[in-house]
Amino acid sequence: MVMAEGAAPPVVAEVRPSKGSTRPSRAGTGWGRRALTLVAIAAYIWLFLPILNIVVFTFNQPSGKYNLSWERFTLENWAEPFKDAQLTQAFWRSLVVAAVAVTVALAMGSLIAIALSRYRFTGNKLTEVFLVLPLTTPEIVLGASLYQLFLGRGVVLGQVTVVIAHIMFLVSFVAMTVKARVRGFDWTVEDAAMDLGARPMRVFWKVTFPLILPGILAAALLSFALSLDDYIVTDFTRGEFTTFPIQVNNAFRVSFPPQVNVLATLILVVTLILFTIGPLSQRRRGAST
Amino acid sequence: MTNRVSRRNFLVSTAALSGLAVGSTALAACGGSEESGSSTTAAGGAADTLTFDNWTLYIDKPNDDLFGEGGTLAEFQKATGIKVDYTEGINDNNELFAKIQPLLSKGDPIGATIIAPTYWMAGRLLQLDWLDQLPLSEIPNAANLIQSLQNPPNDPTGEYSLPWQSGMAGIAYNQAVTGRELTTMDDMWDPAFRGKIGMLTEMRDTIGLIAMSLGIDLANPDDQDYQPAFAKLEEEVANGQIRQFTGNDYVDDLEQGNYAACIGWSGDVAQLSVSNPDIKFVVPESGGTLWFDTMVIPKGASAEQIQAAGKFMNFVYDPVNAARITETVQYISPVQGVQEELRKMGGEAAALADNPLLFPDASTLARLQTWGTISEEKEQQMDEEFARISGA
Amino acid sequence: MAAATTDDTGLRRGRFAPYGLLSPGIIWLLLFFLVPVVMLVKASLSTKPSRFADPEFAWDFSNYTSALSEYSPEFLRSFLYAGTATVLAILVGYPLAYWIATCGGRWKNFLIGLVVVPFFTSYLIRTIAWTSILQDDGPVTALYRLLPWVGSDGRILATPLAVIGGLTYNFISFMILPIYVSLEKIDFRLTEAAADLGSTPWRAFRKVVLPLSMPGVFAGSLLVFIPAAGDYLNARYLGSPQTSMIGTVVQNKFLVQFDYPQAAALSLVLMVIITAMVLIYSRFLGTEGLAV
Repeated sequence: MVMAEGAAPPVVAEVRPSKGSTRPSRAGTGWGRRALTLVAIAAYIWLFLPILNIVVFTFNQPSGKYNLSWERFTLENWAEPFKDAQLTQAFWRSLVVAAVAVTVALAMGSLIAIALSRYRFTGNKLTEVFLVLPLTTPEIVLGASLYQLFLGRGVVLGQVTVVIAHIMFLVSFVAMTVKARVRGFDWTVEDAAMDLGARPMRVFWKVTFPLILPGILAAALLSFALSLDDYIVTDFTRGEFTTFPIQVNNAFRVSFPPQVNVLATLILVVTLILFTIGPLSQRRRGAST
Repeated sequence: MTNRVSRRNFLVSTAALSGLAVGSTALAACGGSEESGSSTTAAGGAADTLTFDNWTLYIDKPNDDLFGEGGTLAEFQKATGIKVDYTEGINDNNELFAKIQPLLSKGDPIGATIIAPTYWMAGRLLQLDWLDQLPLSEIPNAANLIQSLQNPPNDPTGEYSLPWQSGMAGIAYNQAVTGRELTTMDDMWDPAFRGKIGMLTEMRDTIGLIAMSLGIDLANPDDQDYQPAFAKLEEEVANGQIRQFTGNDYVDDLEQGNYAACIGWSGDVAQLSVSNPDIKFVVPESGGTLWFDTMVIPKGASAEQIQAAGKFMNFVYDPVNAARITETVQYISPVQGVQEELRKMGGEAAALADNPLLFPDASTLARLQTWGTISEEKEQQMDEEFARISGA
Repeated sequence: MAAATTDDTGLRRGRFAPYGLLSPGIIWLLLFFLVPVVMLVKASLSTKPSRFADPEFAWDFSNYTSALSEYSPEFLRSFLYAGTATVLAILVGYPLAYWIATCGGRWKNFLIGLVVVPFFTSYLIRTIAWTSILQDDGPVTALYRLLPWVGSDGRILATPLAVIGGLTYNFISFMILPIYVSLEKIDFRLTEAAADLGSTPWRAFRKVVLPLSMPGVFAGSLLVFIPAAGDYLNARYLGSPQTSMIGTVVQNKFLVQFDYPQAAALSLVLMVIITAMVLIYSRFLGTEGLAV
């Protein structure tokens, strides 16, 4: 936090020194570039400081119920990542909710993206504005309104309502993300394939799908993160159902066990792996676009 | 207060006496049938019907396992054949209420047979007519309930709730930070501790302690005006004396030195002070609150489940079993005879028998008050005021 | 994906295909976004006969007047904190995005990915991690106390600084990504050309790069401001009673006080203010930039 404050002013300053220089250097070389690099490094440190804290504290043996002050090194927490039954249960629930919600939202959202970027139709503009609204509505309003809906209809809050809510805020997100990636895509490729005698289904899977796949993958990864991370909307739609963040928050009134850090680190590691595989596969495809 | 208590006690003892008479015959009857029945019911799975949703870290866990060998839940299963589906789902009374309200208001069962709301929340549930009567005939050990918790205002007839654990709210402080002993609420407002004072999000404890320090009684809340207490709280929030309102997480702030002092609960401090002797607990001279969490049965449970719940309550009201729980949670046990059982256990457990946080002396007990029932309207008003001031 | 088979007819009869493709998602949004918001409006005009009774619809606008009169400090604070966090996010996010776009080379994807990685750890846990990092006896606070205007008993936790810092931290990826996307589209040979023509790098940046990246900055600003304005977890963990935001009040009124009418009114006021901002935004810049 302090770092953010400290880092901010030099940002402006770093570009300035080169202002006076009349040297016709290439953009971004020299002092400006070096200062910019420093700012970037500081920003990365700031971004990763809490992550470092989380990972380091997986090796802590807290003296009390709160794993927030460093006591002594231990590997025990990693030996028993699933020791806290309730936390573990919430962790798996979170993954299941994310998997289901992301799958459904990807299907619905990608179709919307294709429709919007490929066709001109009445209501086009209206649809786009409508699609943006869930993204620009504060989560607390989304949560509160769903709470009203479910409560009013006598729907019992639980896993199903949480999944419904997650799909809701992910559909818009997926649609916008995929749409941004397929913008400018030349749809006549499809016609060409059709002209060559390919059947429509085959055209979709062989031509269209591979082209929008990178967009869908990016949307999938980010949606998964959004769903796993969600607290506010989930809090309003969950009833007795707890997800990982909810469980951590609720249990924080009583304890903050090291297993929270261990499970959070596990998610992080899996993400990093996916993340290293992702760009690799994308780069291969990237050659074709 | 004293008058009411003695009158109450009279009613209690008569009720307990009659209960005892009925109970002891029931015990004799049940004892035999359970012994023989346990194997058959366990095999048939018919008795496997009891769910208990409790607060986190509120029962013994041998080797970190709720059903560990020699633990309360394992012993109960051994004795009755009933496996308790025990969950630690409660972290906050209001959160609990928000969870069960939509179900109970429509007459739907909530899933758990026993839940553990704090006494005032149990009172609210009772007033809303959402509770079933306890099967007192199954619970002869209810006679072991300590006197001070008998027939409380939230459940005047004592037919709907039994205390699970009890505790005091008072001043918890880190002497390494304060550098001195604290004894009064005024010590909390010492400018030297500006920004290092914590309050509880539990309105009754925070407002209760402040109100008592201003000489306002808690037993008949509807006849009292608590505005001075709220004004005092607001003043200390506005001038930056109070840093934050928390649940049990104050223990972390206290240990880390973020807090010099705060309003805290006796059991937490009893556990903390083992590893950190600088952490102290004191009931302020003007008085502290005595609270208790209850076991209640929300409507919707089957007759079988209710019966099983009764057996469980009876089990934990046996001083031997109650002492086992006390040894872990270190709150005030509502069960008579726990002190003796702890002494018998020897070692660290025996030391607990002399801990004034678990067994407060007469002078401390005299300073404790429990909130009377607050009318719905007044409670709403107080909750809103408290939320506004505490920034919750 | 079964709905994709509408492509079958779609390519030939473009008139119906788009609606077929849209319908599953749009119907979902109608049911679980639009209808609930209408219910919320209805709730905001209701009264409750008693605390635990169901609200009754009554065209009661008093919820709005009392919402605004009683909670204007929280509204103002929310917008102030969210606004400050947005500015800070630009000040940190822009240089970072610029550096990745210009100096990243073939590591670009990796570097931009690194920005997203922290956000795969729950933001709640990251916020709690900040409470550990910033604790009063910790090294960060010790450094902070060296600052000339901070006393020896200065603290970061339980101050507006911590809350704003937490908001900035938690939502900054929503700033960096759109800025990066807009910078990526810029042909940096333009600035080189400008430099060749004798322009200073700073001037080239100001005249060429900055204007072209403004859509990213605007989109990022909305994406940071909106969740920050409605947030209540940062204030809960990093703040004090004096830093509570409107989200805190709405959450408490809904889930603790059961005062649905007023809570609904409060959240709708928040929604209206933000929607107005978004509409003004999209009028000038369109909705394209809002995709991350």
